[in-house]
Amino acid sequence: MHAVLGTILCLLITGTAFGQWDLPKNLPPDEYGTVLINRTSEKSGVKPAVFSHWVHRRKHTCRVCHFEIEFNFKVNTTEITEAASKGGRYCGTAGCHDGTASFGHTEANCGRCHTGSRAADQKLFASLASFPKNRHGNGVNWVKALEKGLITPLTTLTIPQADMSFDKRLRLEAEWKNIPAAVFPHEEHNAWLDCNNCHPDIFNIKKKTTKHFSMVRILSGEFCGVCHLTVAFPMNDCKRCHPKMR
Amino acid sequence: MKKSVILLFAVCVLATAVFAQTGIKKKRPLPHEYGRVVINNFSEQAGLPAVEFEHWLHRSKFTCRLCHVDLAFAMKAGGSNIRAADNAKGFYCGTCHNGKQGPGGKKMFASCSVPWTRDDLPKCQRCHSRGKAVKHEYDFDTVTAKFPKERFGNGVNWEKAENDGLIKLIDEIPGVSIPRPPMATVKDFSIAPAAQGIAEIIFSHKKHTVWNGCEVCHPEIFIGVKKGTTKYSMVDIYSGKYCGVCHGTVAFPLLDCQRCHTKPVQQL
Repeated sequence: MHAVLGTILCLLITGTAFGQWDLPKNLPPDEYGTVLINRTSEKSGVKPAVFSHWVHRRKHTCRVCHFEIEFNFKVNTTEITEAASKGGRYCGTAGCHDGTASFGHTEANCGRCHTGSRAADQKLFASLASFPKNRHGNGVNWVKALEKGLITPLTTLTIPQADMSFDKRLRLEAEWKNIPAAVFPHEEHNAWLDCNNCHPDIFNIKKKTTKHFSMVRILSGEFCGVCHLTVAFPMNDCKRCHPKMR
Repeated sequence: MKKSVILLFAVCVLATAVFAQTGIKKKRPLPHEYGRVVINNFSEQAGLPAVEFEHWLHRSKFTCRLCHVDLAFAMKAGGSNIRAADNAKGFYCGTCHNGKQGPGGKKMFASCSVPWTRDDLPKCQRCHSRGKAVKHEYDFDTVTAKFPKERFGNGVNWEKAENDGLIKLIDEIPGVSIPRPPMATVKDFSIAPAAQGIAEIIFSHKKHTVWNGCEVCHPEIFIGVKKGTTKYSMVDIYSGKYCGVCHGTVAFPLLDCQRCHTKPVQQL
């Protein structure tokens, strides 16, 4: 009896853990990386706030918001409140939505973020048309856009960026024999991120000690999947990491 | 029967392995939560909520050295195995929280210093507050409102607060601390990182001795007899050893890479 129960449990667990890692549904390019923040909004009688990564990444690197301003990496986990923003934290940080650099937290402006919809400003999105193309995500190759100087996002607000010239390229052997190795370039990542954005929470810093680093887990939102499913180029683009894949 | 037990055990192990999330970004604690320590060696066994100790409140009044050297508090939560009887005898929390006048001249509430009954529970909850909605005497936002701001951790630049005289740290308790002549501060020094391409580390003794004296770090954490004697890596630090004993739990967190990996040393 116990053995039967055990087997059923075992199947259930493996089923939930490995069964559903299909790639998330492709969003339209202008909605890719757009999140609706609704931690307390609707409970407080306002519409969820829209945050579009592509709007912001044109002018600020990931580092600015996810390191300096301390936004967590998962939607609705950062305790953003009206008071915090008005007090100069999160969205309201000086140099951001402070009323000077960009629109502030006044009553007239509530509706600019609290739209309750992912719909993008089409005129603004059209301005990305001249950027290098990418097949997935926002349809924009952000790395090339940055390299070519089409965008010059700020890397810092107050904490000057340290020397980020660490450019080691890692070759990551695939789990399966017939899959060519993945290549990880530090340099392209450092252009946007701080060391701490990835280390040591997501990836350990000692070679080969990151455990459970498998494609299944990446596809379920861990490791590379923390960013490359939601904001950075999505994983439909196998060849971008596994360059020798045919 | 035995087989099914083994199987069930295997399922449990598997389940833990599957659900232990590894490759994701941890949620950052809020400023008022940073440095919070939960002490539960005996509390729940005795039918009381666990103790929540807030570093931010105590560090706005006392040096680290005072509690961690003179009062013998361990550096790890639960590491001191404090019992109510210890406090009642005047050790640990009971050194100051004894119902008499404490080290800043303020009358201190007594911690576990009298035999308690169930009627005393509201009083106990002043410290035994885990999971209880206790209104504390000091509110984080009020206390830290005028302190210089900083990112990460408590969001307070403690070093600058001390330097500017906004907080005056008590470093001695008469009758407990051994009066010591002030020591000459050892110079700042640089440490070369193991990985190429990472900026050199500048360690400032001056900034550390204000809070720690010598004894918090030497010789247990860093033997400190000769530069280079203690070998450690960033992996050790992240796992809570060496610099990671304080930085990551109480002192500014390890996510601030360039605060140490910087040359010259970062000024206030």
